[in-house]
This record gives sequence, C-alpha cells and structure tokens, in this order.
Amino acid sequence: MSSTLRKVGIDIQESEDNRALIDAIRADNPDLTIRHLPGLVKLQAAGQIVINRQTVEEKLGREWDTGEFQLAIVSYAGNFSEWDDDRILVKWEH
Amino acid sequence: MTIELSKTARKKLPLKERYARLTRDLDWEPSYVAREELFPYTRYEGIKIHDWNGWQDPFRLTVDAYYKYQAEKDKRLYAVLDSFAQGQGHLTLSDASYLNAVKLFIQGVTPLEYAAHRHFAFLARHLEGPAPRFAALCQSIDELRHCQTQIHTISNYNKYYDGFHSWSKMYDRVWYLSVPKSLLDDAMSAGPFEFLISISFSFEYLLTNLLFVPFMSGASFNGDLPTMSFGFSAQSDESRDMTLGLEAIKFLLEQDDDTVPIIQDWIDKWFWRAYRMSGLVAGMMDYMLPKPVMAWNEAFELYFEDQMLGGLFPDLKYYGIKPPRHVDDAIAEKDKLSHDIYRILHNFSFAAALTTQTPSETHMAWLSEQYPQTFDRYYRPVWEKHRRIEASGGRVFFQGLPQLCQVCQVPMAFSEASDPTQICLRRSEFRSETFHTCSDGCKWIFDREPEKYVQAWLPVHQIHQGNCGGRSIPEVLAWYGIQDGDNGEYKGSPDQQAWASWHADETGPVK
Amino acid sequence: MTVKALYDYDFPSADRAEVFGDDQLVYVLWDGNPLLCSAACFRVPKHMPFGEFLSTVVHPWAASDPDFDPAAVHNWRLFDEAIDPEADRSLAELGVGHKALLLFSTH
Repeated sequence: MSSTLRKVGIDIQESEDNRALIDAIRADNPDLTIRHLPGLVKLQAAGQIVINRQTVEEKLGREWDTGEFQLAIVSYAGNFSEWDDDRILVKWEH
Repeated sequence: MTIELSKTARKKLPLKERYARLTRDLDWEPSYVAREELFPYTRYEGIKIHDWNGWQDPFRLTVDAYYKYQAEKDKRLYAVLDSFAQGQGHLTLSDASYLNAVKLFIQGVTPLEYAAHRHFAFLARHLEGPAPRFAALCQSIDELRHCQTQIHTISNYNKYYDGFHSWSKMYDRVWYLSVPKSLLDDAMSAGPFEFLISISFSFEYLLTNLLFVPFMSGASFNGDLPTMSFGFSAQSDESRDMTLGLEAIKFLLEQDDDTVPIIQDWIDKWFWRAYRMSGLVAGMMDYMLPKPVMAWNEAFELYFEDQMLGGLFPDLKYYGIKPPRHVDDAIAEKDKLSHDIYRILHNFSFAAALTTQTPSETHMAWLSEQYPQTFDRYYRPVWEKHRRIEASGGRVFFQGLPQLCQVCQVPMAFSEASDPTQICLRRSEFRSETFHTCSDGCKWIFDREPEKYVQAWLPVHQIHQGNCGGRSIPEVLAWYGIQDGDNGEYKGSPDQQAWASWHADETGPVK
Repeated sequence: MTVKALYDYDFPSADRAEVFGDDQLVYVLWDGNPLLCSAACFRVPKHMPFGEFLSTVVHPWAASDPDFDPAAVHNWRLFDEAIDPEADRSLAELGVGHKALLLFSTH
C-alpha cells in the first residue's frame, strides 16, 4: 500500500539536539528513509510523518514543546496536517 | 535505562486555545466604519472571500513563542558569525572566487528580503482576517530578520574583499539586479491576493528550495560557515513562510469556485517569473562554486520535478489546479539554463560587481559529466575558445549592451527548445510599439498585462536614454557605484591577488 | 484595461519612440555565434546610412570576437524577413524602425 502513497519529507538541521529528535521520528515512523547532506538531514516517508512529543522527550531526556520543532526544521514537502501540544503530523491532504 | 521526567501538570492553556485567544479573539467587527472602508484592497482583484475565519494556521504561533524562538535562532547565528571572524574564516574558504556567489546573493537576494518585509507589513494591515494578518506580521518580521542577518553575516567579507560595499545602491541601478528587483516590484504593485500567490506561494513554497538550498549548500561545501549558518537559521523561518503560502492558496481556492481560474493564471505567471530569476542561481551553482554541490539539472529534478510536480500539484489537483502553464519549457531547459546564464555573466562582468572566469579543464570535466546531453556539444567549444583567447593574453567581453527581455529583464540568451544553437526570440506589438521577450513564458506574461510591462525600467534602454550617469561605460559604472576590483575577470583581480598573497607564507600545502 | 486596479490604469510606455527623438533603438544578433550571448542593443540615428551603421556600430561590437571577419557577414534578416541592405540607404528607408531586430550570419 505504501508504494502508492506520495512521499512527504522534512529537512532537519544537523545538530546535537536534533539527533534525539531524529531518533524519535525514526522510532515512530518505521518506513522512514534518512539521507545526510552537509548540515542537513532529509527525512522521507510515504504518506505521512508523525512527531510525538512523548517519544522526543524520551530520546532527549528533558521536556520538549512541539513548538521547539520550529528551531529544527529547515524545509518540508507536504502539509502540516496537525500541530498541537502532543503531536505534529505532516502529510499530503489529497 | 529510563529517564524520570517531571510529572508536574502543565499550567498553560493548550496550544490551540492559546493561539485562538491571542489572535482570533483579539479581532473585532468595525462599528463606526464600513468594512469596505477599513479594508479597501480585498475586492478589486475579483477574489471572493466568504469566510475569513476559514484561514488555518498550522504553526499556531503566538507572539511570545515567536520572539522566544527567533531570539534563540539569532543567538545561535551570531555566535557562529563571531567565531568565524575571530578564526579568520575569510582565509579558509575554498577559494576567493567562491565569494562571487556571495556577492550575487547580497546584491540580488538581500534587497528582496527587505522588499518582502515591507509588503508583508502592508498585508498585516490589509488582509481581512486576524489569522492571515498575524501570519503576515510574523512573516514581515521574518523577512526583516533575514535582511538584517544576511547583512551582518556577509559584512565580514566586506572587510577583505571587493564587490560587497554598495549592494543596496546597486540593486536599484545595476543591470543584472533589475532581474530580482523587477520581480518584487511586479509583485508589490499587484494586489494583496496576487502577492500571496506570487511570493508566498510561488517564491516561498514552489521554488524556495531551488533558490535557497543551492546557496546554502554551496556555502557549506566552500568553507563559508557564516552564510551556511544564516541559511539554516533562515530556513526554519522559511518552513513557516512556506506554510503561509500553501495555506493562502488553499484558503483562496476553497472560498469560491470562481477563484480557480484567477489563481491558475497567477500560478502560471509567477512560476515563470520566479523560475526565470532562478536562472541566476543555476549559473551560480554550476559555475561559481570551486567545490560544487550538485548540478542545476539535478537540483531542479529533486526540488521541483519530484517534490513539487510529483508531490504538491497532485494535491492541488483536488481544487482544479494544474501544473504551471510553461513548466515543460523549464524542464526542457534544465540542461542548458546554467550555461546560458553564465555566458551572460562572463560576457558582461566588466559592468557587474562580481568577477567571472572561464572554467578550467577540471571544472569542464565535471560539467561534462553532469550534462552529458549538452555540455560537450554546445558549451565546451565556447569555453575552449575563451581559453585559447586568454592563453594569448586576451579576454572577451561583450563590447556593447545586450537585448533584454521586456518582462524578466535578463539578456535574451536563452535558446529554442528545439535547437540550442538558436536564440529564442519572441515579440509583441502594443500601441504600435514592439516589445521583445525571451520565451513563450515571458511573452504570455507580457500579453496578459501589457499596460504594466511597457513601463518597465529596462537598464539597457535607460542607459541609452542617458538616465544612468552618461552614455559611456565609465560614466555608467561610476553611477552604478562600481569601484576598481569589483568587476571584470577574476584571474588577476585584487581579490585573487590578495588571496594568493595571504596564503603565500603558508609552510604546508597551499590550495 | 487588463491590469486590475482601483483607478484608471493608463501610463505611457517607458521606451516609446518619441523619447529617443531622431534616434531609435536597434537590436543586432550575430546568429549562430554563442561567444556573444545575445543580440546587442544600439541607439542610432533613424537616418543613419546602413554602411555607416555597419562600420561604426556593428563591426566594432562584432569584433568583441577576435575571429570576426566583416567580409564574412551575409544573410541579413529584419525580424523574420530576408533583406539585402545597401550601404547608402538609411535604416529608416530599409524599414529598420524603433526596436527592430536585425540578424546576420557569418558561415
């Protein structure tokens, strides 16, 4: 099924903090592909990418607001379908 | 091993509610002024909005969060700028010639940030809904931030190298900078909805990765830590700005079916205008980076064909939107664009605030590998001729002024899709006057709104009218603010000589 | 009026013929020579004889290419039409008006 879904993508800055974030995203999105470019980590998955605050906090070892994601993101392909205190969801709408 | 996290209850309002209270709930219905008087610009473009509250802001930013995150980004950036300056980073670039890409950036991109800042401030007042107004306000401040941080980032190079000193003045006067300037002027003199499609959507969403990532990756590959850091710092604002663009287009399309053809026309126009401007980036990526990142054709395939045509447009199809009208011409050009643009810059850098040089054998080998269909056949012979002429002490510059496209204002150096050896020539008549354009895309744009484009301040024609300091090249260069060292050929330039002398006393291998 | 505006949108063209008086703008393209990236844009008197136009304007520009040989110039076109311009006829007499495009080849 996933082969027919369009890819969504998020580009994240390569940094110490963001390693934990990327680990969390990988844990919650099993089909995620990760590509490293200088200073940049490109995440891609078919259909959607979900970011769960709880998973990020577990990997990071401290509290984390979903708003902090603004500091990590470089660019994206898709829509921010949801963004609340606990979860961010990127997917194509149609 | 698990980490014990604080289990105290969160005392603040949920994100959604906090956002509503600080944006939507601060709005009011005018009671002693008619709505139309309060918002005079939202009807004349023919766009129908039935419910301004339909605008969604997925980032749900509030003012306090905005300033907190932006301040954090600035702190991180300025730390890098300081440490680069302290570490004499201007000597650790791949080569001084790399800085021509940065000169192009501060002259041609930084002023656009300022222009966008101004116009988003206008939108922050004149859009009728509180959510889009607040999003526009954040973007206005974002754009001003970008302008300021770019200036600070690049100012360090101004201490040591030519071409950086008068970018703001040059933006208003110099021929190749009229390309970005006319684009923003076109957008700013359009209505608020067209501006949202032109800049927020076409520039900030559709093409942003093609416009920004090449510069920033190029910086990273070539030792330019400050510009790279600026880029990443700004890109996280861009994700918010991209969202505004996407939200704008969906909001408009969802309001009324009659809006669809208007939006389609704007997408068609602004894709092409922004794409034509991105040619300067193509030339930069393929020719100005001693350590190239990727070729333009590859970037175009990844960032535009795959992500946009393959991802975004299928999404917009739901609303009845089709891919941009002349997109096939852009695709057909991807193996030619950078070469055509750099030939222009190479011909005319005597009148630019940057230097150019003929690519070396090694560089040409890379170009040949990246462009197997076109480079060896159409462009290598040109560069090899330049190399022969330079080997005997010459240097070819175009001893005259070019023919500019009436719309994009780039010298008309693009070729027919069917034949790369034929310059693409299009023209239109309006009020018994002839107007030349470089492509089907620009001709279509002209023919749609000729009353607008006949007023264009074309640098070449203005020089011929005597409005640029005089009719001779030295007078024009003086009016441009170009100083010795800024312009011409890179080899033998003050930048190149300084670079060589600064590295001459190294005891280890010199690059 | 195709431009949407809140007022009567009607402005003069920036480069209309009258702005240049007795002169005009003429573009010349050396067809098939990629060393020169585009056509050139010249400002010349409307009544300049074609021969003078060649020797004082076109040839000096074409000599940007050190291989330029004036004797090899042939196949003149005015926009899409072939023309055979005589040296003593003026640009105006030849139909080369304001913002006209001339093309030549050298092979």
